[in-house]
Amino acid sequence: MPQAKEAQTENSSRDQILGRIRAALRIVVSEPAVAAGDSKRVIFQTIDDPLQRFEQECAANLMECALTADGEASAQHLAKVLQSLPEGEAFVQEDPTLRRLVQLAAPARAIRWSTEGAPGEASQVTVTLAEALIAQTGSILVSAGCGGRGASVIAPCHIVYARAAQLVPDLATALGCISQQRTFDRNSFACVISGSSRTADIEKILVQGAHGPRRLVVILQSGT
Amino acid sequence: MTQTAAQRFLQDAAVKSADLVHREIIRRGMDSYDAAHLKGRARIKDWEAAREKCQEIKRDAINHLDRFLLQFEEKVVARGGHVYWAANAEEACAYVKNLAIRLGVRTVVKSKSMVTEEIHLSPALEREGIKVWETDLGEFIVQLRNEAPYHIVTPAMHLNRGQIATLFREKLDPGISSDDPADLMAVARRKLREAFFTAEMGISGANFLVADAGVVAISTNEGNGRLCTSIPPIHVVVTGIEKVIPRLEDLAVLWPVLATSGTGQGITTYSTMIAGPRQSGEVDGAGEFHVVLVDNGRSQLLADAEQREVLHCIRCGACLNICPVFRHVGGHAYGTTYPGPIGSVLTPHLNGIREFKHLSYASSLCGACSSVCPVKIDLHHHLLQNRRNATESRVTKSSERVIFRMWRAVMSSPSMYALGGWTMRKALRTLYALGLAGTILDPMRVWNRYRAPVPLPSESFRARWRKDRAAS
Repeated sequence: MPQAKEAQTENSSRDQILGRIRAALRIVVSEPAVAAGDSKRVIFQTIDDPLQRFEQECAANLMECALTADGEASAQHLAKVLQSLPEGEAFVQEDPTLRRLVQLAAPARAIRWSTEGAPGEASQVTVTLAEALIAQTGSILVSAGCGGRGASVIAPCHIVYARAAQLVPDLATALGCISQQRTFDRNSFACVISGSSRTADIEKILVQGAHGPRRLVVILQSGT
Repeated sequence: MTQTAAQRFLQDAAVKSADLVHREIIRRGMDSYDAAHLKGRARIKDWEAAREKCQEIKRDAINHLDRFLLQFEEKVVARGGHVYWAANAEEACAYVKNLAIRLGVRTVVKSKSMVTEEIHLSPALEREGIKVWETDLGEFIVQLRNEAPYHIVTPAMHLNRGQIATLFREKLDPGISSDDPADLMAVARRKLREAFFTAEMGISGANFLVADAGVVAISTNEGNGRLCTSIPPIHVVVTGIEKVIPRLEDLAVLWPVLATSGTGQGITTYSTMIAGPRQSGEVDGAGEFHVVLVDNGRSQLLADAEQREVLHCIRCGACLNICPVFRHVGGHAYGTTYPGPIGSVLTPHLNGIREFKHLSYASSLCGACSSVCPVKIDLHHHLLQNRRNATESRVTKSSERVIFRMWRAVMSSPSMYALGGWTMRKALRTLYALGLAGTILDPMRVWNRYRAPVPLPSESFRARWRKDRAAS
């Protein structure tokens, strides 16, 4: 069966390269040792108030962050954002909470649910959950489980609905969770997203909205 | 006679450093980078500790390269991905080309990857009639100009908006009237969106290969890297074997340090992790996932006891930005895939010391590159070592060796040195008096061609020293 044969990664240069690497590594290189105690040094500022830091970093990353008190307030904010967008299909991650929220917020809008396939080229907006929010960098962590890979990048606007309990202080914690929860056993993709898509390739001038969303909106509801 | 790389470099460098438009564009670009970089560094509490941590991570990775590569491979293969080990550029290109042909690929979308530039992948695919779209805005611009990237992070930083608008009018749409960067981006976006949704294959590089998780980490701001790895049914990662890191948690420091050094950002907008092909139950993603691990001289560098750490490089571009030589001659003058200090160190290893030894001299040895390197590569000392290696391996010209032997003899004899100084002072004074400064007869021509001659002292330093001592 050709498929099974392809799954192996045998190729003629593989052992040759590994052999060269091993031979090279037998050569002893004297490297200045890292001074003892250096590993105790604190690289990043400790984060005392994750929520405050998250809001501050979101602003710096040119994302919108709305704090809401309950489901009703979240639905209202979602409705407001959706109304500000052009007509057209919205892509929404299949999830009971998001279903309730979207039905409240935009009962009339055409919806494509993630179970029906990836967002189309013409999608105006995507609405998804996140795996976590990261205060240190003002980021959202999404996985393939959050509506797929395209859900966070194809449409001009991406709306993320999250709960305050999902906020972690820093990248190290977020990546630790991925390792611990074995996220990649269930997902072929994850991404730390810190703001809307951008470029500075022309004269180093920042342009918001390159190939991905121009707007990234986080609706952050308090409680769990 | 065809020019050597060294002659070309001298010629292009002279032209570029006298090009006032180019100088202005680079000065402005570097000024805005400098400001962002300093601000970004200030956001990290202990920048030196961050550099040391990154150095430690990369050293651990490189010193156990075989183990971590195998661990990465095992994870990727277990999820249904393929890993191909390519000894050189030809093997890497042949693999991707054959894969594309076998799977009937007509169109490829590419996200930025310096390794694909190094192995000249796009021309190899285009020779098979496959259309290749560079999708990073800067890469797209240089592709339209049939140019190599000018800089490893910002490929089109040598152009201003007017030049880019003209290019777009010529190549894409004669109706473009604005030269506003946002409008130009919108033109590229519209054009490339068609490509994203029709391409059968997406090709990306990798910033890191995470061994313990079996993950390819890709950092992009525009989202083009995301689209290349989300929409097309085939995803091929082409990267160097040195990109592997041990643990997923290492990204917690590598990501912020890479972004800070690259652009001054706290973290790159999309820090993507791809762990293999689309799994069952997932909404989208490439069903075919291939990682091409390119050696192409890297294992040889690994065997270099002095310069192994050059493999720690994370390609942030900080050493290019700070380098006084890069700032004057620009990225294209080097004539190499990797310009600037890292390129001058690396290129003789990848492409041969004989042809590229001159790059070791494209440095004032000021050490600015080493001082900004986020993984603490001792770049300027490696340039010095390459100079020594070139001399010892006798790839230098015999005339050069004779001149240096004479130089040594003069420098080690006080009377010969004094005589030499006296002769030069007399000769140059006569020459300058005749108005011949900077002409072909002037031994100081290299300096005096574009500058007012340096005033000549009336007496030697030693004579003044003796006089001052006697007076006091």
